This record gives sequence, C-alpha cells and structure tokens, in this order.
Amino acid sequence: MKILIADDEALSRRLLEKTLERAGYEVIAVENGKLAFEELCKPEGPRLALLDWVMPELDGPGVCRAVRVRSEQTYVYMVLLTSKGTKEETVLGLESGADDYLTKPFNAEELRARLRVGERILLLEDRLVEARENMRFRATHDPLTSLLNRGAVMDLLTRELHRSHREQRSTAIILGDVDHFKRVNDTLGHLVGDEVLMEIANRLLGAVRSYDFVGRYGGEEFLVVLNSCDPAFAPTRAEEIRVAISHRPIQTAKGPLSLTMSAGLLLSSEWGMKSLEELLHQVDNALYEAKSAGRDCLRIARPALKAEPLPAPLPQSVRLRH
Amino acid sequence: MNKAGQELTAQVWNLAELLDRVDNDQELLRDLLNIFKEDFPRTMRSLESAVAAADLKNTSRLSHTLKGMLSSLGGTRAAAAAAKLEVLATAGETTSLKGALDALGHEAATLVPELNAYMAEVHR
Repeated sequence: MKILIADDEALSRRLLEKTLERAGYEVIAVENGKLAFEELCKPEGPRLALLDWVMPELDGPGVCRAVRVRSEQTYVYMVLLTSKGTKEETVLGLESGADDYLTKPFNAEELRARLRVGERILLLEDRLVEARENMRFRATHDPLTSLLNRGAVMDLLTRELHRSHREQRSTAIILGDVDHFKRVNDTLGHLVGDEVLMEIANRLLGAVRSYDFVGRYGGEEFLVVLNSCDPAFAPTRAEEIRVAISHRPIQTAKGPLSLTMSAGLLLSSEWGMKSLEELLHQVDNALYEAKSAGRDCLRIARPALKAEPLPAPLPQSVRLRH
Repeated sequence: MNKAGQELTAQVWNLAELLDRVDNDQELLRDLLNIFKEDFPRTMRSLESAVAAADLKNTSRLSHTLKGMLSSLGGTRAAAAAAKLEVLATAGETTSLKGALDALGHEAATLVPELNAYMAEVHR
C-alpha cells in the first residue's frame, strides 16, 4: 500500500521512510505541505498519509483541510505527526480533518499499529463504496441482461430530449420487440428465453455507439436511444440495429434460433417539445404498425401522418426454427 | 564511570531508544548520523543568526526543526534545550533567547562528540 510522508526535516523523513518501507509500504516522501497535497490529489495517489505539523508552504492541518474539501475523491486517512502535544493542539489537529495524531519522537511499533487502524478504516470505506455502487447498479439495470432498466432509460431519454431540443439536434428513439418471443418460452422454456434476451441485449449494445443508450423496456421490448442522430440517417441506422438481431441465428443450449425484431422509430426533431409519454406512445404506435404489417420490419412515427413503410426493400422475414 | 555518570551520559544521548527506533538497523543509524552531521551545523548557524537579529519567527521555526531532529536521534537533553528556546521565541521573550541558545550550544557540544565517537567505533 502507498503511504505519503510529508516532513521538512530530512532526518525524521529518512527515519520514517525506512521504518515504513520495512513495514511493507510503498513510500512517497515529500518535504512540504504543498507537495503533499499535490501527491494526495493524484488519481492513483496514496490514501494513507503521515503529515508533519510544522512545514513550509502549507502546514499539516492545512493539508488536512485542503484534502477534506474535495468530497468527491476517495477517502485519505491522515495522521498528524508532530512534537506539539497540548490538548488544544490535539483538538485543532483533529478538527482540521486529521484522523489520528502521534507525537514525535515516534515509537515504531505504535506507528505501525496506528497505520494498521488506518488500513482497516480504508478497507471498510472500500467495502461501503463497493456496496453503494452495486446497489446503484441494481437500481438502474435489468438483472438479466444488465441493460439499463425501464426507469433508468426513461430518465436518460428525458435528459437527452431536453438537450437535443436546446441544441436543436435530433434524438432517435427506437422501440423494438422480438417477434414471436412467446413461442421461444412456450416451446423451449424460460431458460432458453433468457439466453435469447441476453444475446439480443449484447447485439443491440454492439450495434450502437458508446454514447447511445439501450434499455430493456419490457419483457421482450427494448428501447434504443440514438443521441444527436442526423434525421437523414436515422432510418438506416435503426434498420441496421434491427437487423443485427436477424442477420445470424442465436446460439442457445437447445440449438440455434433465427429470430427477428419489429421496431418503431421516432425522430424528436419532427415532434417539437412533446412530453416523454406522448413520444413513447407514438413510437409504440409505430411498432404496432410494424407488427400489423407482418413483423420483421421498421415503421416511422410521423406527426399528423400515419406510420409509413420504409422506402428501402426490407430483408426477408425469417421464421422461428426449433 | 560511576552510576550517576552513566545516567547523565544516557540523558545526553539515549542510544538504546534510538536503536529500538531503527530496529537495530546499523546502516540506517549511520544514514541518520550522516544527515545530522550535515544538517545540524547548518541549522544551528541559521538559528544563531536569527537570535542575533532578534528574529522571533525564524528563531521559533529553526529551534522547532532542531528539536525534532535531536529528539528523533535520542539527543534528549539537547532536544529539551531546543524546545525551551522555541517556547521563549514563540512567547516573544527576546531577552532570554541568547541564554537559551547558549544552553543549547552547550548541550550540542556534549552530544556531538558522543555521536562522533560512536561513528568512529562502528566504522572501525
């Protein structure tokens, strides 16, 4: 584990450096508070620090205060090491944000024991952060496919629609539904159905850019959001994404399955400032049109017009094989 | 040397405490003594200039540095003399500074030969 030592006095610095290296730490030693703060701000910087109280540029309590201001960064466990020793100074040191306090000249064994306390606190912090991140992921992602869940994709879509309206760009919303998916579940079982959904999620993710969103909207319904998408190219892009499902069979435990997807497409620039619910209702209508037209095709939701077929020839519908 | 003499020597330089602090690492001990040999006279000279100029801020800062250096090395009595000078400078006791500096100089003059003798002994 990395540890920072900040002490302007060379003898104490060398003594600390050697003591901590012997205890297995990777030591970074600096001679003033300003350099200490810079080291602690580095992305992979040390998370344990031993700071002398009296230092040029910035003193130990000053480093503690500066580090604690950056709330977004990972926690740094800081120990003030100094020859000061009154109660008032101890309180001042701890109030500045230090976690512990050791008086010079230090006892090597006590120093190591106190640093082990610091390591335990940091380990606990890591576990808390990990647990929080796991909870955040679970709250925003579909457990089966790991795609964004309906709530999360709707939140992102809302933000994206506001942004594209503000910047006078267009957001393309694609609502896709796997054709005859119920047959997969009914004839091959839910485990195969799950395999299919996971593969479809992978293919959809593989078909979009890193800054587009893909979410699981319902059982076998997927919502794809193409950010800042040129309306002239949106139908072609949507068709490519849709065909990513049917262009080769999906490998399952019960053999390969050829599946298709029907989809509705909506371009936000054609609809002005409509509510999210209204836009989703319209793209759902377009999807319904695609289903009614025989499935395995794309329909575009256009204002004041009924959903229209694509001018380009569509790939031949592939029947479900099993 | 009688018992009282031994105690006095131990207070000048607490070698046992220092050896414990460096985990009996003779190489590290040599390193520390070399740093001391280089840094102590230089800091002491700056401190003498600060006291002569009645510069309280630098007197306080430099005596603090010496206090840390001396206590890390087990120079108990000299560290205490440096601590006294720091307290006086912080309190603004300008008139007492010279006397406290002399006391520190005296303790250092007792400590340094002991350190030199030890270095000569381990180098033999």
